[in-house]
Amino acid sequence: MQSKLNKYGYVFILPFFIVFATFTIYPIILTFYYSFTSYSGFGDAAFIGFDNYQRLLTDSYFWEAFYNTIYIWGINFGFQLGIALLLAILFSDIRLKMKGLSFFRAAFYLPNLITIASVALLFGILLGWHHGTINHILLDLGFISEPINWLNNPTTARWSVALIGAWMWFGHTFIILMAGISGISNDYFEAALIDGASRLQMFFKITLPLLKPIMLYVLITSLIGGLQIFDLPMLLTDGRGAPQGSLNTMVLYLYNQAFRVNNYGYAAAIAYGLFIITVCFSLITFKAMYRKSVKGE
Amino acid sequence: MKKVLLFLLISVLTLGLAACGDDDSSNGSSDDNSGDKETLTVWSFTDELEPAIEAFKEEHDVDVELTIVPIEDYPTRLRPVLESGQGAPDIFTGELVFVKEWIEQGYWETLNQEPYNVEEISDDFVEYVYELGRNSSGEVKALSWQTTPGGIFYRRSIAEEVLGTDDPEAVGEMFATRDAMFETGAKLKDAGYRLFPDEGAVRWFAQGQDPEPWVNENDELIMTEGRLNHFDYAKELREEDLTAFAPEWSPAWFAAMDGPINYNAGWDEVDAEATTEVEVFSYALPTWGLHSVLKPNVEDTAGDWAVTSGPNPYFWGGTWLGMYSGSENKDLAWEFIQMMTHDEEFLTDWALETGDVLSYLPVTDKIKDDFSEDFLGGQNNYTFFLEEAQKIDASVVTRYDQQIDTMFGSMVTEYVEGVKTKEEAVQEFYNLVRNSYPQITTPDQQ
Repeated sequence: MQSKLNKYGYVFILPFFIVFATFTIYPIILTFYYSFTSYSGFGDAAFIGFDNYQRLLTDSYFWEAFYNTIYIWGINFGFQLGIALLLAILFSDIRLKMKGLSFFRAAFYLPNLITIASVALLFGILLGWHHGTINHILLDLGFISEPINWLNNPTTARWSVALIGAWMWFGHTFIILMAGISGISNDYFEAALIDGASRLQMFFKITLPLLKPIMLYVLITSLIGGLQIFDLPMLLTDGRGAPQGSLNTMVLYLYNQAFRVNNYGYAAAIAYGLFIITVCFSLITFKAMYRKSVKGE
Repeated sequence: MKKVLLFLLISVLTLGLAACGDDDSSNGSSDDNSGDKETLTVWSFTDELEPAIEAFKEEHDVDVELTIVPIEDYPTRLRPVLESGQGAPDIFTGELVFVKEWIEQGYWETLNQEPYNVEEISDDFVEYVYELGRNSSGEVKALSWQTTPGGIFYRRSIAEEVLGTDDPEAVGEMFATRDAMFETGAKLKDAGYRLFPDEGAVRWFAQGQDPEPWVNENDELIMTEGRLNHFDYAKELREEDLTAFAPEWSPAWFAAMDGPINYNAGWDEVDAEATTEVEVFSYALPTWGLHSVLKPNVEDTAGDWAVTSGPNPYFWGGTWLGMYSGSENKDLAWEFIQMMTHDEEFLTDWALETGDVLSYLPVTDKIKDDFSEDFLGGQNNYTFFLEEAQKIDASVVTRYDQQIDTMFGSMVTEYVEGVKTKEEAVQEFYNLVRNSYPQITTPDQQ
């Protein structure tokens, strides 16, 4: 009887594994194979050994893309976490007792629901040069005397992408942090209150330490997502990393190599390069997390 | 009870899977379903074929399924279908940017062989259009019903005021070379107008007078004098302030067609006295630009336009048509292609209705003399564009053009912006080309 039940179990999980194998495992293996070929999307794939990987290591465009990705992700994550943390603390403060949490939670989350294409179009108009809304406002207020070509300067373009990303994602982070904070027992706060702790003390001595696991979770998910940033840089400028290659992220570079110029083999190698980088970063974060939790105990 | 539930669940699941399987197989072989009517499947990236398909359905009493895939996804969606043959269309169109690459693959049926023998009617087509469908082994893979030469559309009233004439021939003289074009631009600037909406407009004239393909048959990148000079022309356009800074396809670009747009809202010290509004004189657009760009976006200035030739002939876009080599419906597909590309009666109606400039000469010869476009102040744009089409040389078109043109364009911009010197910009352009196409050798290596 026992063994029969087990068999049914396999039948039930089978559909997932079929779909997973077809749409995830198979492409992963095929990509690995292609990364050793000069496949161009049609015809036969010629086996060229480690050439693609050799090229990857010395490809200045790839390392530039790596730098851009980290740069954009770093600013993005800083602002995203900062804003979300500030808001989460405001809304969870037991002395302030802020009203309308469910409304704000929805409002903060909204940018996340807009398709990236619309966001890019919107910000494309806002950040325009001679006809851009932001420039016109700044000019009328007298902050600048000449229109700034936001999307044509590497620094402002990277910051634009990072901040738009932060605007889109802080609501999501906010919700996760709120969940984390509501998981902290009110007893701590009440006890601190009775002992006469200041708001800052409560934040640094209670909220922050107890929130660390959640923040590390946010860090890891954001890092994995951030290393794959693609859609905003793709849509905001010419889709090739303009201005001056500053928005050329790793996945955008992969996309362009594969689908614009049909170097599928090399693109597959980039994909595995990206995979290795993601694994390295995740390992570092895991190590950091492990050490911290040991120290905390 | 549990067992019954389990059985139910599993049967639902299996049914679901079986249903999916069924769907696939019916897509694969379209001729054995739906009983009496034959079905032709067509893939394209615009809806422009819709009226033609309606006409074809009526005439042949068949079903036609048109699948429209947005152009950004078109090659990526089409390629796997063609590679595997699963659910592949009988006919698929190709935009100019893909055509050169696709004719080299075996996806399209060769048309200059039995039973199609298109070579017999090749003289009836505008030469460059026909030749673009021919691959390096001489096989004709695709045909097109249209021709898409470009011109410069300009505002008659401004021409009259600043240049003293609105006659297309006379204005054409003032655009005959790049130098003449810039002189005209300076005149317009003095009168408070701008030559072009943005700097991108001059890219069509980057070739200069000595057109060469970007890449020759030995996979060598060719950098001509004309192309090197283009860096300076683009810089001049910026320095002389001849454009309205309204980037192509931006809202400002469209707005400038119909009247003055905001410019220079009082911040530029050099032009502190200048008006805050500026009017654009001309747009570099091809045949379809008239119908799909100018007309839908213009109200007040309709009738005030005319078209003339620029420093060199150019063409922009175009749709080619071919049948899938693995199609099981080749006869019907061929009927459709015939109707679309060399059916006198149908094409005459098509041209008169849409204003599309055709590549099929027996029809254009018949109708070109009577054309008069109210939007262009009664000008016969049909004859103008046909003459421009005859000047185009298909041999300079390569499959790399779209990508290389874009890389070239962005390096020109970086030079114009002052980010790079001309030498750096050219060197970076070579690096970009090599990075995308490792097989190409660039002049700095040769």
